[in-house]
Amino acid sequence: MQGDPHLDLVNPYPLHEQVYPPDEDTWLLLGAALREVRPEERVCEVGAGSGVIAAELSHRARVFATEINPHAIASARRLGVDIVRTDLLSGVAGPCDLVIFNPPYLPTAPGERMDDWLELALDGGVTGRDVIMRFLHDVGRVLSLYGRVLLLVSSLTGIHEVQAACTEAGFISFVVAERAMDDEKLFVLRLTKDICRMGSDIVRSDPR
Amino acid sequence: MKKSTVDILCCPVCKGDLELRIVKELTRESAEDEILEGGLWCRKCGVEYPIREGIPDLLPRTGDNC
Repeated sequence: MQGDPHLDLVNPYPLHEQVYPPDEDTWLLLGAALREVRPEERVCEVGAGSGVIAAELSHRARVFATEINPHAIASARRLGVDIVRTDLLSGVAGPCDLVIFNPPYLPTAPGERMDDWLELALDGGVTGRDVIMRFLHDVGRVLSLYGRVLLLVSSLTGIHEVQAACTEAGFISFVVAERAMDDEKLFVLRLTKDICRMGSDIVRSDPR
Repeated sequence: MKKSTVDILCCPVCKGDLELRIVKELTRESAEDEILEGGLWCRKCGVEYPIREGIPDLLPRTGDNC
């Protein structure tokens, strides 16, 4: 996305080659997040990458972010993001009012793996859903009772499969933003805890 | 890291509370205090997670990163 006007506005620093550069998925999720966030809320962006979403939201709420890639952490920090090095939500206790996640979602065969930091930002395992499943299994722990999750999903990852996994993990999900691209369609899912089913056997603690 | 962020962090292994140890902090009138150097101590695991250059490192401690 060289020359994208958004980049000049929000990220004046050249990104390290091992950091996922902001792209259409970033802007779709940012737009949804700006519509969703309420003043003074506690917001957590998981795997913040370059940090552009967390940085924009920091003007409107109490935002912090997690990331595991040290190059991405440096980028987010330059944008003034309050960032913690941890794997997804493992070092986060919460409670958070809003959790935002643009996961690695590309289906990736073992032979295609590069084993570097950028790969980690893209690789969703064979189905594209490996990291999403790990996230869905843990996010309920850090989410406040009426908290919301915004999750970016691609048609390549399987929107119906992801929504089924959300249901199994005890969430209600709706599509709140979508954008058709040349070879895929991007969606933002909004998840809330399915309070009516809480404590029911229908909700399995492990969506896998 | 902002000082108040400590309240919503936990040990990545046992999910227990962390105690903040401050070595160097930045105090500003216009913004919240920021911890630049220090540690986050998990009493249960007996492990301290470092805070360096304002970034807490909450990766499980192994032989490689202690």
